This record gives sequence, C-alpha cells and structure tokens, in this order.
Amino acid sequence: MALATTLGVTLTGVQGQTVEIQADVAAGVPGLSFTGLADTSVVESRDRMRAAMGNSGVEWPNRKVTLALLPADVRKIGSRFDLAMAVAVLAAAEEIPAAELTDTVWLAELGLDGRLRPIRGVLPAIVTARRAGARRVVVAQGNAAEAALIPDVEVRAAGTLRELVAWLRNQDDPPPLARSTGEVPEPERYADLADVAGQTAAKRALEVAAAGGHHLYLVGPPGAGKTMLAERLPGLLPPLDDDAALEVTAVHSVAGRLLDRARLIRRPPLQAPHHTATVPALVGGGTNLARPGAISLAHQGILFLDEAAEFRPAALEALRQPLESGVVVLHRGGGAVSYPARFLLVLAANPCPCGSRARDCTCAPQARRRYQQRLSGPLLDRVDVRVQVEPVPHADLLGDAVQRESTATVAERVRQARAAATARWAGTSWRVNADVPGAKLRAAPWALPHRVLAPAQASLEQGRLSARGFDRVLRLAWTVADLAGHTVPEPVDVVEALYFRTGQVETWAA
Amino acid sequence: MGGLTGSGPAPGDGVDPEVLWARAYLSRVSEPANIPVWGFVRDVGPVEAVEAIRTGIAPREVLDATAARRPTVDPDADLEAADRAGLRLVVPESADWPHFAMAALENAGAERLATYHTGNRSHRESGESIPPLALWVRGPLDLAAVGVRSVGIVGSRAATAYGEQVSSEFAFALASAGVVIVSGGAYGIDAAAHRAALAVGGETVLVSAGGLDRPYPPGNAALFARVAETGLLISESPPGCAPQRRRFLTRNRLIAALSTGTVIVEAAKRSGARNTAAHCLALQRPLMAVPGPIMSPMSTGCHGLIRCDGGLGPALLVGSAADVLAVVGRAGEGLPDGTGGGPVDDVRAELDDLDPVARRVYEGLGARRFAHPDEIGARGGVSPLDVIRTLPLLELAGLVESSDAGYRIARRSRSAR
Repeated sequence: MALATTLGVTLTGVQGQTVEIQADVAAGVPGLSFTGLADTSVVESRDRMRAAMGNSGVEWPNRKVTLALLPADVRKIGSRFDLAMAVAVLAAAEEIPAAELTDTVWLAELGLDGRLRPIRGVLPAIVTARRAGARRVVVAQGNAAEAALIPDVEVRAAGTLRELVAWLRNQDDPPPLARSTGEVPEPERYADLADVAGQTAAKRALEVAAAGGHHLYLVGPPGAGKTMLAERLPGLLPPLDDDAALEVTAVHSVAGRLLDRARLIRRPPLQAPHHTATVPALVGGGTNLARPGAISLAHQGILFLDEAAEFRPAALEALRQPLESGVVVLHRGGGAVSYPARFLLVLAANPCPCGSRARDCTCAPQARRRYQQRLSGPLLDRVDVRVQVEPVPHADLLGDAVQRESTATVAERVRQARAAATARWAGTSWRVNADVPGAKLRAAPWALPHRVLAPAQASLEQGRLSARGFDRVLRLAWTVADLAGHTVPEPVDVVEALYFRTGQVETWAA
Repeated sequence: MGGLTGSGPAPGDGVDPEVLWARAYLSRVSEPANIPVWGFVRDVGPVEAVEAIRTGIAPREVLDATAARRPTVDPDADLEAADRAGLRLVVPESADWPHFAMAALENAGAERLATYHTGNRSHRESGESIPPLALWVRGPLDLAAVGVRSVGIVGSRAATAYGEQVSSEFAFALASAGVVIVSGGAYGIDAAAHRAALAVGGETVLVSAGGLDRPYPPGNAALFARVAETGLLISESPPGCAPQRRRFLTRNRLIAALSTGTVIVEAAKRSGARNTAAHCLALQRPLMAVPGPIMSPMSTGCHGLIRCDGGLGPALLVGSAADVLAVVGRAGEGLPDGTGGGPVDDVRAELDDLDPVARRVYEGLGARRFAHPDEIGARGGVSPLDVIRTLPLLELAGLVESSDAGYRIARRSRSAR
C-alpha cells in the first residue's frame, strides 16, 4: 500500500474544519514534500516526525513521501497535524495496518522523543470532529481532561507514538479512554460581597448591573475599592448554561488556557487587562492564526478596565464594535477570524489625574474635565450605570457588619430579576434590559405613565439628564423594578435609577 | 392694499385700513423719532397728517423732515412686501399696541415737544425719547404684553467669554422665571441672551434697527428666524430699510421702553450700550449693570454707569439673576428674605412638605462637606438604600447638590435649616 488517509482539524478562531491528510509513499529520490497551504510551522514537523519515529521503533520510509492537507485552499498552521501526518506516513509505508485509521481524528504535537504533546483548542477541535461524524479522537494525555468534556465521542489519550504503533499493530490494548473527571465544582474563587464594608451605593450598582446586563462605570480615587468591587461582580451573575459554558470554554481552549485546569467554565470569567494593554492584547490578534484577546476571554463574563482613562485611545475605540455586536472580527491576510465577545464592561477611573480623594483634589477644573473626557463619547454612551466610589474612612463605625448581604443572597435576587426580564422579553432578540433600545421603552406597550416618570422628566427639563440619559434611566428603572419584584416600574424605581445617572452632566456622555 | 387681506395674522386686526395705510406711509417717509412729525401726527391724526404732507400744507418742519422721501413713498408696496415676509404692521390704533410699554415714551415725548416748541429745535444725536409711529413685527408673541415683566439684556458685540456667560445665565434663569428677554440681536451679549431664552423655551423679543426682511448682522439670520418662531421680531423701519447708525440709536430707545428694566452686561468706555442706558434713565426705568474684572476694558462702561461717570447713571449693581428678578419681577420676587415668598421661604415650605424619610436624609447631609449615602444614612438614621432612593428627589427640588465627592446641602437652602 502506497497511499493512506487520516483526519485532523484546523481552527479559524473557534470555528473548526476537518482536514483530510493523505500520505503517498512512492519510489523516487528519498524526501518529503507538502502540498495544501501548509504554513512554515507545519513544514517544520518534518524533523519532528522523523526523529519521533526513530525514537519509537519504527522506520521513516526511505522513499519519496508526499503529504497533502485537504481541502488544499485552507491555510493550515501549527503543530496540531504532527500526529495525523505521522500516522498517515506510517500507514502509507505499511508500517501499520490502515484498518483502524478510518473515522479517527488525530490531534497532537510530536516531540523528538516520540511523546504526544498537548495542543491549543482541542475542545473546539473535538466539537468539529464530532459534528463531522468522527467515531474516535486520539489526543495527548495533556489534553485528556479537556477532551473528555465533550460527550458522545470516543476520546483516547495516548502518551507516546510507540504506544499507538503497538496498538495499531494489534500488539497491545488501545490507549485508555480520556476520563471525564466528573464535573468538579469550581473552587469558590470569587470573594464575597459581605466582605465589603459600607459602599452601599457601589454594591447596589453591581447588583443592578448584574441583573440588567448594564455596563458599569465606577468613579473614585485609587484605594477606594474599585477593584475589590469589580472582583465581586462575577459572583453575582448567574452560572453559565451548557451552551454558554461550552462556548466560553472553547475560547479559553483556543487561547491555550485550559491545559492545567481543564473543566467546563461554569462561572462567568473576569478579565482585567492592564491599562498598558495593546489593541491586539485587548481584542485579539497576532499573525496568521489570530488569538482571542481579553474581550473574548471575557465572553459571557466581565471585562474590567481599571484606570480606564489611562488606556490608549485606540484600545478603547476598538471596544466599540464588539460592544455593539457581541462579536469581534479580526481580519488577517489569511482571512477573517471571529471570536465571540459579549461581555459586561466595567470601567473604573479616577475623577482627576492627581488621583487623590475628591475633597483633597488640587487639579484645575480644566484638567479634571480633560481627564474625564478621555473616556467620554461612544464608549460611555453604552454605559448605563455610573456610581461614585469613595474610600470608607472608618469601616467599623458604619456598624453594618451584621446586616451586610452575602454574594449568595444578592445573586439570588439577580437570578429572579433576570428571570422576570427574560419572561418579559421572550419572543424578542433582547435577553436583558440593557439590550432594549430606549425608543421601545418609550412606546407602547412599555411606556410608563407620567405619574411614574415625573422625576425623570423633571431631571430632563432641568438639564440634569440628556435625552440619552433619559433612555438609560428607563432601562435602569425596569431593572430596579425587576429586583424589587414589581411587574412595572414604580416611582421609587425611577428615582433609584436616577441616582445611578446623576453627577456631573458636562463630563458625562450626553 | 390687496396684500392685506391675505392669510396669516390679520394685519392691524380691525384697524381702519386707511389708518394702517397712513401709518405705513409715515413709517417710510420719516426717519424714526422725528419730533415735529410725531407731534404733527399726534395733533391731527395719521390720515390727516399724511394728506397734509402729500399736499404740501403741513408745517414747515414736517415738510422739511419728509422732503427727501416724499416722491418715492409707496405704502402699498411696503405692506405687500411685509405680507410676503410674514410681517404685520402694528399701529397705536391696533389692539395689540404695547400701550403699557409705550406710556413712558409718550410722557417723555410730550415733555420734549413742549421744549421743542419753546426753542430747543436740535435733534439729539443719540435719539429723542418719543414713541414710534408704527412697528413692523413678526412672531407669535403678544406684543401688548411685552413690557409688563420683561428685561432688556444688552451689551458689547465684542463680548468676552465672561460677558457671554453672564448674559446666557441671566437670560436662562429669567426666561425660566417667565420674564420676557428683550435685546437687539447683535453678536455677543445680545445673541447670548436670545439664545439662552430660546434654549429654555422662554419668551424673547428682538428689536432690529433695519427692516425685518434684512437681518442684521447677517450672521445672526438663523437666530432671527428662531426668534420669529416663538418670540417676536420688532422694527420701526419698514421692510428693505438698511440698518444705519442713527437707527441703532433710535432702536435702543425701543429696547429700553419695552423692558421693565435694562441690564448692561458688558460695555466698553464708548459703547452703544451706554446709549441704551441713557434711554433707560430718560424713561425713568431701572438701569442695572454687571460688574466685571477691573482690568477688562469691556467692563469699564458698566463700572462707569455704576459710579455715574459723565453724569450717566446710577446703574444698580446686579450679581445674579435673582438680583435682576428682584427689580423687574413681581413685588418681593427674588428678594433674599422678602415677605412675599422668597427662595428661603420656598425651601422652608418644601422642607415642611418632605416625607419623614426625606426629612431625615436631609438632616443627615452636611452643609459644607460632601458625603456618601452610607455616611448620610448613618447620621440621619436612614438605611443607605433609602438614602439612594431619596437623594435624586432632593436634588431635583434644589435642596441638595452633588459633586464627584458626594452630596451636601445646596447653597440656596442652607440658611433655611
């Protein structure tokens, strides 16, 4: 037999595509050639395969070997095809029988010593293999835990090429099934809301943001506890359902973040890129196969930008399109890659460049305005909740330690509020209150009577609220009502919504 | 007079067409504020006066004052042009003639006529304080009511940022309080006042020196159009008249007459605003001036008015819209601690109306130091969440103010505690 076929998977973003790998071993000048848009990183496998075979007790065929990666018009990148190509060559060289190869997808990198090494993105790759009808997948042991997350497909985790050759020659048992470790509950990494003294307004803002999916803006000097608050937000969000969990886990898999702690991500992730982050770090990028950035790793979770005014303008600009569409599309020479990026944005910023507490600030008003304007415009346009965070001077004096609500209590209220919103918006494309356009809330059947809206209308007339701000108040009022268990917002809900919109009008996006 | 029966606001509503035609004739044939012409019309009536002027039997001074234009006057054409431009002619015989505002001019005019007959025949270069013969107007505002509760806000065209800000803030607050803002439609102080009044949806009157179909300055044409939509454009000159220097001075007497009081926001040492101030004093109306930095040449005119430099003054120093309201508003309105419902009393009344929770939130606030809900709640004995649900209402009522550092009692309500 001079021809053999195996299967691999190539990834574009989190989208996979099966690749058929054909090896042809024929008479001629000994050598190896590739066809089918194989990137340099694929061609490099030549030496890995040769050494791995030598160190696994099988011979590299001393003939003319041709490897084709099909479809030939899709660019293939990386070491993820090492094992699939090596097995194809061995079968074509009749070192192993080809019988076991059909319907099996091979996903591993080879070391020179013949060991199988884990690859990035094994989770979406197996999802693709399953969809393509593959019966069996072979992965490196390092990927076993992650691979086992996908049900309904036989995943075998092997340690070395030697092991595989023995199995394929029927000299040994097949490598063990990748065992699902069961759904281990994730360690409770999220700090509890009850640890935060005072800060009632900020804590309530977190609750409202979580319940309505509203983006959040925390204003306050360093040391006021903005980071501490943001870290407690994921705990308030409902755990991810199966589809969302798989989607999020796939992104993290492609980013190569699952290797050590492979499990389905059930908790909304929190990403907190540093303010020096570049555009690619934030939205994703890199040559060839663009990797997901912080915003995609924050998919279904929280993107926390601390010192938001210090981020470079280009990085903040780049957030606009994903905020709008929930997807980031990265265009590269080899085509466009898209990653999901539907996240809850939390901005934190000082009110002024000097960073001292508001009442001690020595900045000129112009300097303060300039500083705050760095954030204004289209980005703040999407932020519904704004709240001031001031350091709590004497936490003990507040005496609220007894009544502080735990994350679990608040999360339960958030869950009920979200359920109410989901029921209300059923049959529409909106999932949370933050998705609903202001025009819809101002029109029947959602328009509120004057009796309820009066405080917001008065604010509008007094110039404390812009027209857009008014729409945000409407959205927030529905969320506050959902939290309070009101079927329709009441005046007190509108007033509370106003609290999260008041402040300096001129520095706050119109 | 075919154009008069067209659509739009009834021109001269119910006025005898003959009278209207005669007033249109007079408006064109004579320069504004001409003493003998006004006196002659006052004595014999508009129709007879026009007949006498046309037939050459009018007194000598009247014929002299009308000689230049007499051959070319065409009231029919003027009235038609006015109709096309959406203007109407308001005459003293009209129902909407502002008798209240013009009363002071009538008195001053009668006195001046007496001195004219006894020998002082020179026309003052700065314009004589006598009533107009007719007014060309455009806009929905009721002209008859202008002058009852109105304020003239005028000043330098080359205003500083400070001047424009003061002008806007005053006009904004006064128009919000229902005071009609009267000004001249020029760049700088005037335009800022009109714009602020329009912005708050208030009433504003623009008195133009030239014909209303020729907005001057042309750069403010859009402002003229906006004023015409909700306020009133007024001119003594018929359509097509160019705004000449003398007409600005006679125009200023109308601003003074149509305003209960006049505020000079910014004026250089030599400024048209001083002319308006002079008319205001001649009509015995309250004159107000806004102080500025002593280094600013655009404020020296105001400071001079306050100190009666050159015998012109005194102007009352005003430092806030409330100061102005105390002068032009109802009795007691805007006074710091008046008996007639000043702001402090308003606050006291509002505080009495507060529900117990709001009252306690208010009591938890500091007068100087900004505080956050937790602190306010702890001091007032209210839960911080209730504080959050109350502060916006207190802020709307003007009882508290906020900043980056939190909330505190608003300045205006501090003394009421």
